[in-house]
Amino acid sequence: MKKSIITLIVLAITSLLQAQYNNLVIPEALYGTTFNLNIHESTKQLRTGNLTVTGSINNETFWGPTLFINKGDEVHLNVTNNLNESTTVHWHGMHLPAVMDGGPHQVIPAGTLWQPYWTVKNQAATLWYHPHLHETTQAQITKGVGGFIIVKDPIESALALPRTYGVDDIVLALTSRSYTTANQFETPPTSTRVYGDYMLTNGTPNAQVTLPKQYVRLRILNAEIERGYNLGFSDNRTFYIIANDGGLLNAPVAVTRVKLMVGERIEIMVNLGNDTVGSSLDLKAYNSGQTLGFPGGEPNTTGQFGSLLNNIDFNVLHINVGATTTSPITSVPTTLENNTYWTATTPVNVTRTLAVTGGQAGTPFTFDNTPFVLTTINKTVNLNDTEKWTVTNNNIFGHSFHLHDIEFKIVARNGVTTQVGTHESGWKDTFYLPRNESVTFIGKFDDFADSDVNHPYMYHCHFAGHEDGGMMGQFLVTTTLGNDGINPSTDFSVYPNPANEKLYINLSDANTEIYYVTIVTVTGRIVMMLPQPQWQNGIDISSLSSGVYIIQMMDKKTKSLTAKKFIKK
Amino acid sequence: MKKKGCLPSLFLCLTITLLSFTSIRYTSETSIKNFSLKNVNNKTVSLSGYKNAKGFMIVFTCNKCPMAKFYSDRLNKLHAKYQSKGVYLLAINSMDTLAYAEESFKLMQKKATKDKLAFPYLQDKLQIVAKQFKATHTPQAYVIWKDHKGQYTIKYKGAIDDNAGDATNAKPFLANAVEELLNNKPVSETNTESFGCRIFYRGEKESMY
Repeated sequence: MKKSIITLIVLAITSLLQAQYNNLVIPEALYGTTFNLNIHESTKQLRTGNLTVTGSINNETFWGPTLFINKGDEVHLNVTNNLNESTTVHWHGMHLPAVMDGGPHQVIPAGTLWQPYWTVKNQAATLWYHPHLHETTQAQITKGVGGFIIVKDPIESALALPRTYGVDDIVLALTSRSYTTANQFETPPTSTRVYGDYMLTNGTPNAQVTLPKQYVRLRILNAEIERGYNLGFSDNRTFYIIANDGGLLNAPVAVTRVKLMVGERIEIMVNLGNDTVGSSLDLKAYNSGQTLGFPGGEPNTTGQFGSLLNNIDFNVLHINVGATTTSPITSVPTTLENNTYWTATTPVNVTRTLAVTGGQAGTPFTFDNTPFVLTTINKTVNLNDTEKWTVTNNNIFGHSFHLHDIEFKIVARNGVTTQVGTHESGWKDTFYLPRNESVTFIGKFDDFADSDVNHPYMYHCHFAGHEDGGMMGQFLVTTTLGNDGINPSTDFSVYPNPANEKLYINLSDANTEIYYVTIVTVTGRIVMMLPQPQWQNGIDISSLSSGVYIIQMMDKKTKSLTAKKFIKK
Repeated sequence: MKKKGCLPSLFLCLTITLLSFTSIRYTSETSIKNFSLKNVNNKTVSLSGYKNAKGFMIVFTCNKCPMAKFYSDRLNKLHAKYQSKGVYLLAINSMDTLAYAEESFKLMQKKATKDKLAFPYLQDKLQIVAKQFKATHTPQAYVIWKDHKGQYTIKYKGAIDDNAGDATNAKPFLANAVEELLNNKPVSETNTESFGCRIFYRGEKESMY
């Protein structure tokens, strides 16, 4: 009797605890053209009792800061890997040179500073960054390493849209985690589970936020390992999709539900103007009763593909309606962008097909029965070609397909143009590929031709376990122009030596193009990686501790390495 | 000839073999060989140097891991409480110093000074001791105890306690194990989940342990 009373009390307390909300973390916003990202292990109080070991960037304790960048700006990223393992950072959705893309080849060892930079060519959009180290992506994303990138441009800025970050314009990274008895994330290599038992919104369990009584903008990312989300509001109110992966749609789309697969983003506007201040509503995942192959629709609550959140409707964000701000947005613009899209009948230079294979009898999923191999280039695309790809999934489960380098247009599903969802009608880089369906998209591979096999672009399933398992391929964008057969001398000298702040390179042959500079300690530890450095202004070595270093220079034409020693004062 | 000797009693041989396997599985207590490592004071510390030791608390830790950072004070207290009872605390840094500049011997010395570590903080530069213990995380604690033959065996493996952020509400697994051993009782929780940063072994893709 006593025992059952105690049990009842414990249950009551537990349910009370579960009903308590935590204030949604709004990741720190960083502005400008130079961004310092320090990736590190951290701890966070996610559950009662022990802290959880997490991975985060800068001042966050899960996830990373939101980077605001402007179209046309040259942005410089100083990425320091302070994890105790290697990583990579991929700029998901960004149109940039492959050598800056942060795919599986661009390994940043522990303790190393990686300095990619690029000119922002994307239009205004919600993009994100995350680790992409082959076979370790699931573990590192599970830790929480990642962040948003918000691209701004004049067209978006001219529209009457909510854009006060953290007030009427918020980011939402949706994911879920399961915990061990010591409150640690269940993660590879010790766990094969792919669905979390507990929702985390921006790394916040049971998240709540107060949003003003007016139109608000939610930039939503499915940052999951594998789960899909069928999003809607608890009172089934209509909301407006204004943007998907690559930026604004031409016109808003009114919906009451939207499916968001792993890696996809949408921006929605929802009207809280008719709500009472002090009232609340919930953004929910209506994930019960999905068709077979929807990730997270499985009935199991335990095991590799089980989860307490499987096949149920659950809360994503509790929204409290607060006071209206001084200059609220009171309507959704009727037109947003003026994108011109290709259609299913647009002539293309190349047509390609990809089929989902594997995944049965214990084998990992693959494309075209070819498991990913780091040294195999699967496709070569001619610069400026417009290509049509059809990805077919006549297999046992759904997937989320992501292509690096470009934003593309989905022109058909199952060969039918009208089956393309209105929520995915803009520029895309990631899409849901359900079971027994095909998706056809057209993209133009303009810019960034580079025949460097060590820095290809990737295409893959964005389920972290699937890409780690080899459901990935890689491609180069190349041009026939180029090699004149004359190889320049790759000799060079450095000055001053010893150097303190900056190290300058003096090429013996002015025709040499520097492709990559790597700075290594005499014991072999890589400390700086500079893809296509702007070496003419000197290389900033102020972050190095004093000692002897080796600078390795790779020239663009021959991809050979030439090394010199220097002393850092 | 040797084979023949076993043949008449093949059944017995098999039984003995099976029994010995079974006994290994159920009462296995990994024995720990003596080791010598350099302490932050530049002196070498070895198990055999502690002549009167009943046992040791061996804690694999490091300079940088945020979980490891929570435990300096708690380890000092454990050291103070048990060294007079013949149970000594040795902290060992087995992180790959080629990979991590932050785990250098110099920075170990700095941490020892800053955190006023009262116990030895040893560098396992070749990761030999960590491999002997099959250590996976920092921090990760072991209790090894001396038997009547003077051999050390592992009696406890896991976390120092179950709450890194709040020592007052933590279940002190490591201290409990030591208390039980000092009272000649079997350790009630011999294995708990260790948590913190992973120890990566140089030249191995994944930790084997």
